[in-house]
Amino acid sequence: MIVGFLLYPLVYEALLATPVEPLAEAFLPAVTFMIVVLYMGLFAMSFDFISGYTGYLSFGHAAFFGTGGYFVVLAANGQIPGIPGGTPFMFTLLLGAVLAALLALVIGSVSFRLTGVYFAMITLGFAQVIYELIRSWGYVSTNPTEGATVSGDALAVGVPYVDALSLDVGRLTGESVENLLGLGIDLSATVVSYYALGIVVVICYFAMQRIVHSPFGRVMIAIRENEERARAVGYATYRFKLAAFAISGFFGAIAGGIFAAYSRSVAPDGTFYFLVTADALITTIVGGFGTLAGPVYGTLFNQGLEDVLSTESGGIATLLREGLPASVLEADLFGVSLELFVNTAVDGRAPLYLGIVFVLFVLYVPNGILGTLRDRLGGTVGKRLPDHLRRYFR
Amino acid sequence: MSLGTLAGAVAPQAASLVDPGALLATGSAVDGLQTAARVLAEGIGKGAVYFTIAVGLTLVFGLMGVLNFAHGAVAMVGAYLGGLVLVLVVGANTGSLATILVFFVALALVFAVTTAAGSAMEVTLIRPIYDRTPTYQILLTFGVSLIIEELARIVLTLRGIQPDPQWQAPMATAPDALLGRTELLGVGVRRLYLFEVAIGALVAVAVWAFLTKTLYGLYIRAGSEDTEMVQALGVDVRRAFTVVFGVGTGLAAVGGVLLMWDPIWGPSVLLSIDVLLYAFVVVIIGGLGSFTGTLVAAGIVGIADSVTTWLFTTGIVTFPGLSEVTIFLLLVVMLIIRPQGLYGVEEVGGH
Repeated sequence: MIVGFLLYPLVYEALLATPVEPLAEAFLPAVTFMIVVLYMGLFAMSFDFISGYTGYLSFGHAAFFGTGGYFVVLAANGQIPGIPGGTPFMFTLLLGAVLAALLALVIGSVSFRLTGVYFAMITLGFAQVIYELIRSWGYVSTNPTEGATVSGDALAVGVPYVDALSLDVGRLTGESVENLLGLGIDLSATVVSYYALGIVVVICYFAMQRIVHSPFGRVMIAIRENEERARAVGYATYRFKLAAFAISGFFGAIAGGIFAAYSRSVAPDGTFYFLVTADALITTIVGGFGTLAGPVYGTLFNQGLEDVLSTESGGIATLLREGLPASVLEADLFGVSLELFVNTAVDGRAPLYLGIVFVLFVLYVPNGILGTLRDRLGGTVGKRLPDHLRRYFR
Repeated sequence: MSLGTLAGAVAPQAASLVDPGALLATGSAVDGLQTAARVLAEGIGKGAVYFTIAVGLTLVFGLMGVLNFAHGAVAMVGAYLGGLVLVLVVGANTGSLATILVFFVALALVFAVTTAAGSAMEVTLIRPIYDRTPTYQILLTFGVSLIIEELARIVLTLRGIQPDPQWQAPMATAPDALLGRTELLGVGVRRLYLFEVAIGALVAVAVWAFLTKTLYGLYIRAGSEDTEMVQALGVDVRRAFTVVFGVGTGLAAVGGVLLMWDPIWGPSVLLSIDVLLYAFVVVIIGGLGSFTGTLVAAGIVGIADSVTTWLFTTGIVTFPGLSEVTIFLLLVVMLIIRPQGLYGVEEVGGH
């Protein structure tokens, strides 16, 4: 998977130069969308870390995403007391994550006395309270409902105080690298942001992977499978749940932080709102509940769908509009021309098709893409796939 | 210092913030008691709305233990359908009485349609996953709400009605008789609130009758105590589930129809999430699955809402999100001190 992510921008660029260009442009996600996959994938992973492994649905997970994002933006603007404006991004990212972990401890300490639906609701309640507070907090910006923007330079991912190892990231302000290592490969600002943020996500993935496969992770799964039994065996389940929640909040905030650094702005609706959690929830289900890498596949699917169905970088709607003859486009369909239908029912309508896919997954593929693959292969994909391949291609 | 003198002292400075009606009331009525009575009356009006949008959710949860995330989306559809009927029928010179009559016809129509749709949804989508953990029912209904919302957006765009700004046409059909205020025991109360209280009471009585006088009501009440026992006693729980889910969905739509005239809500696709969140708050404070609890909680939330809105409009508190924050804080505090809610039974619906 990581190799795939590593090669993707190069393959995408190469395909755009070949005759299949219109199809590639329509059906393959652009690199900007792949960056969304990175941070939303990390957020979904952090959601899955608590919800998929301990079975406690964290419906207010957006609180941590928002904390990370807002902390990074406010710190970059020098608005956080005790943190001067020029503090390297990597430090503020970590500090924001620690703050989110503390917040998770506070929320978790009361929420984990509840289970099931009640746990989901109380976390949602906390997140909504924070959302409403942030929306009206004049300190953030003069117009808090619109959120805040980074006013200074681009934020750099890398080793603080070592310029050669730091790269600026940003949607429009990133840094481009020409003639990488003398190989004659030029990387655009977007591609540089993609790799720089990708490194952060990969590190976080391995950190969570390590935790899940440690004895601590075993206890988390034990809690999911049968909490009473886990307690009877002698584990203080409350503490384990709380620690897992804090870790999950930590990584959720990192996702929010890199989102803020890339988009250079945060808005309450894009960070703290209930629908941000819902996004993570949907992609986790599609990708595979309780498989750490699954949410990334889910996000990949989600963003791919969104990209294909939007006009921002040439999707199906553009393809249809340009490819179909005018007579077909003007054909009448219950009093509405086909062109208007394409414009409204296809363009930007990813949530509709995602919703349908989501319902089908809940009904028929409850383990998600990765979970089902693992069930079929009888183990993790990386371990079992070679055996299966060997059986068929001897 | 009493609340009234405080309001009297602050109101003149905050004149620009206050809507003309409220200013008239606070300006002339320096008497604290009267202001308090007015705020209380508006609170009851809001409570009636909260009750109407929440009662269907609690019914479904009471018997089936399914937290229906599509509730808000159905309410949104109800608001649009109700609005459509009124816009089609009501003209510029339709009398107030006739309009209200049309309103009730719309209410009945929308209830019938959505009840049928809800029953169909239960049979086709929810029935196959009862044997899984409750999380999956939440997820499924959430997916359904996504689909409903997007379909609504498509239809609205195709028909030239923009989805996001509120659809003003049904608002304009509100009869003159419901605009303005009326004197009630010396307190000026918005007539729309009186109307909403009347509808809320009607729904409450209807649901109460459904719960206590019909067989399905009996199943719900028994089912919220012990579903397995009900099943063991030979009740066809599957059919009961279908009926109850249908009725719950229909009630969600009724709530939506009521919201169509309310300037605070009004039909918009965003209504879906708002209704859902408020309905959750109400049913959780009242106790999931408890009819009485929902009634009481709706009153509490309504009054909290109207008091905090009053605090903001009179300029005592300058924090615009006060009302929302208070309501979600109520939810959090309730879950901390009494997770099962005011009237809830612990471990209801198998959780």
